[in-house]
Amino acid sequence: MLRSLAAFLLLSTAAVADTADGEALKGLTWDQVVEQARGGTVNWFMWGGADNINQYVSDHIGGILKRDHGITLNRIGVADAVEVVNIVLSEKEAGVTDAGTVDLIWINGENFRSMKQADLAFCGYTDLLPNNLLVNWDNPAISNDFGVPVDGCEVPWNTVQFAFAHDSAVLPEPPRSMADLLDWIKANPGQFTYPAPPDFTGSVFVRHVFYHAAGGADALLGPFDQARFDDAAAKTWAILNEIEPFLWREGQTYPNTIVQMNELFANGEVAFTFNYDPAQFGLAVQAGIYPESTRSFGLTDGTIGNTNYTLIPFNSPNKAAAMVVQNLLLSGEAQLEKAKPEVWGASPAIEISRTAADVQAGFAAIEGHASVVSAEELAKAALPELQADWLTAIEAGWKANVGN
Amino acid sequence: MRADVFRLIAGITLALWLVLPLVPLAIWSFAHGWRFPDILPRDWSLKAWAYAFSPTSGVVGSLGLTLFIAAATTVLAALVGVPAGRALGLHAFRGKAIVTLVLLAPAIVPGIAVALGLHGVFLRLGLTGTVSGVILAHLIPVIPYMTLIMASVFSSFDTTYEDQARSLGARPHQVFIHVTLPAILPGLMIGALFAFLVSWSQYLLTLSIGGGRVQTLPLTLFTFASSGRNDVTGAIAMIYILPGLLVLLLTARHLTGRNAALTPRVAP
Repeated sequence: MLRSLAAFLLLSTAAVADTADGEALKGLTWDQVVEQARGGTVNWFMWGGADNINQYVSDHIGGILKRDHGITLNRIGVADAVEVVNIVLSEKEAGVTDAGTVDLIWINGENFRSMKQADLAFCGYTDLLPNNLLVNWDNPAISNDFGVPVDGCEVPWNTVQFAFAHDSAVLPEPPRSMADLLDWIKANPGQFTYPAPPDFTGSVFVRHVFYHAAGGADALLGPFDQARFDDAAAKTWAILNEIEPFLWREGQTYPNTIVQMNELFANGEVAFTFNYDPAQFGLAVQAGIYPESTRSFGLTDGTIGNTNYTLIPFNSPNKAAAMVVQNLLLSGEAQLEKAKPEVWGASPAIEISRTAADVQAGFAAIEGHASVVSAEELAKAALPELQADWLTAIEAGWKANVGN
Repeated sequence: MRADVFRLIAGITLALWLVLPLVPLAIWSFAHGWRFPDILPRDWSLKAWAYAFSPTSGVVGSLGLTLFIAAATTVLAALVGVPAGRALGLHAFRGKAIVTLVLLAPAIVPGIAVALGLHGVFLRLGLTGTVSGVILAHLIPVIPYMTLIMASVFSSFDTTYEDQARSLGARPHQVFIHVTLPAILPGLMIGALFAFLVSWSQYLLTLSIGGGRVQTLPLTLFTFASSGRNDVTGAIAMIYILPGLLVLLLTARHLTGRNAALTPRVAP
């Protein structure tokens, strides 16, 4: 304990600007980068609310980094990635350009857009990573993060696709399409709700209704279009206001966060919860939070998918070591480990067909958690994510027209 | 009703009122799921505690770090608060009201405003992300409590006892150790207790100044509380309340101490 205190105190004086110059790193070969990374420390800021994920990162990934590269991985748990964006932003405003606090962030969506717009990301280095070859950058769902082109500013880590969860012991046959779900809600008053946007998960549920009202996602892709928005939005608010009296507590209040809704589901107060990452259902069953009879499913009209990434801030003083971490995270072996349901159950962000034969065999041998709908099953009907401007407009419109 | 019976009932009620909210946390920490309408969890598990004490969670390191920060903040606050409180409590001087207001300001101004302004300043000074920066930041809400408590202690402090000691040949440090300190000790204990607990429970200042790198226990706790892991939250919360309870128990007997020098001054 004393030693960690001393280490913390030392942090205040030690100057550690060894590989802050990203442009110089881009001119090196990968072997030279790995050599520069040796002995570095990576402060990885990430959402820290799941013990399984924490253990995978600290123990598995941290262990390999220490053993093979002499890199110390310092995982820093945060409640929301926006806190980290604010740290980097205020560092930039204060002129801290080469000795930032943050070396790596788990990120996507609006937070990525903020970082890219404010030039807070280290970009254009991803081709250096050998395991970048495993990534299918031709897939628009990988090369765009919520509609924002990635442009070599971040490295994919996991892919997720929205799914619903229900307790099969209580509700053996859940509705499988948005139309059926809306009918089900009206026929079963008080058993459904969704977190109020701008909650991340509540917001994506509203987008599913929005797609349904618009007759599909095709008309909504691309930059924001006010006319098309108004058309679909009017129908969406009508649908959501129509079901409101049939929601939990007659729709007079909505859960503020997905966590509150998960608790309602765990206690059987509502019949469904949903999540962008179906692996969370399996983790919750393993932790005893949800009943063993929990099952999950997608919609026949499709559910929205996205990719989450890791990003190196422009002012990280340990860019070389952070790149080694990213390369390790992309490796077939590391992606396989986290795909195991007892570890995490996260879907890979790489093309399995491009990995070594034993890794492919490993993926083929994985038996998914009974509560987690398989990624292949969900992928049969996948919907793209909208650009961030649409998201903001939908969230504001919901507040004005439904959540008032 | 007899006074001691009433006191007993009041004491028990107060204790229950303080302890009852903690009972579900304690139960959660051993629960493997606890769903409505079960009165008690159906399955029990030590997993949350095992995780809390594993190196991965960093809880043990955080506990030591939080203790160190709270203790250092308390000592520094006492170094400032005792002389300042003495000046405010014993002497009338021009601008005393303004000094008191300035001292109180951090307790009145919302913490978020202080944190945001402070972050920019500390960033330029290179104090963000450091333990020393976090301790300095904690001093801002802590010093007003310490100073005001010491001011009220000194306002009923009779300086003639110090004069007597000096006239008997005691040197300044002897006067302080043998006369002043015993007289103000109960008040100092209360001030230190407040200082410790205010620092111990800081979230916002630690998060903004520490930038996540100074991972105190409230930060770790909030990460799990905000993600719905009631079992791990319960275990960390149990660990989190321990030092506060210990400090309270250890100082409780000093809090009611009485001393001859601490009597309201009577005009000669």
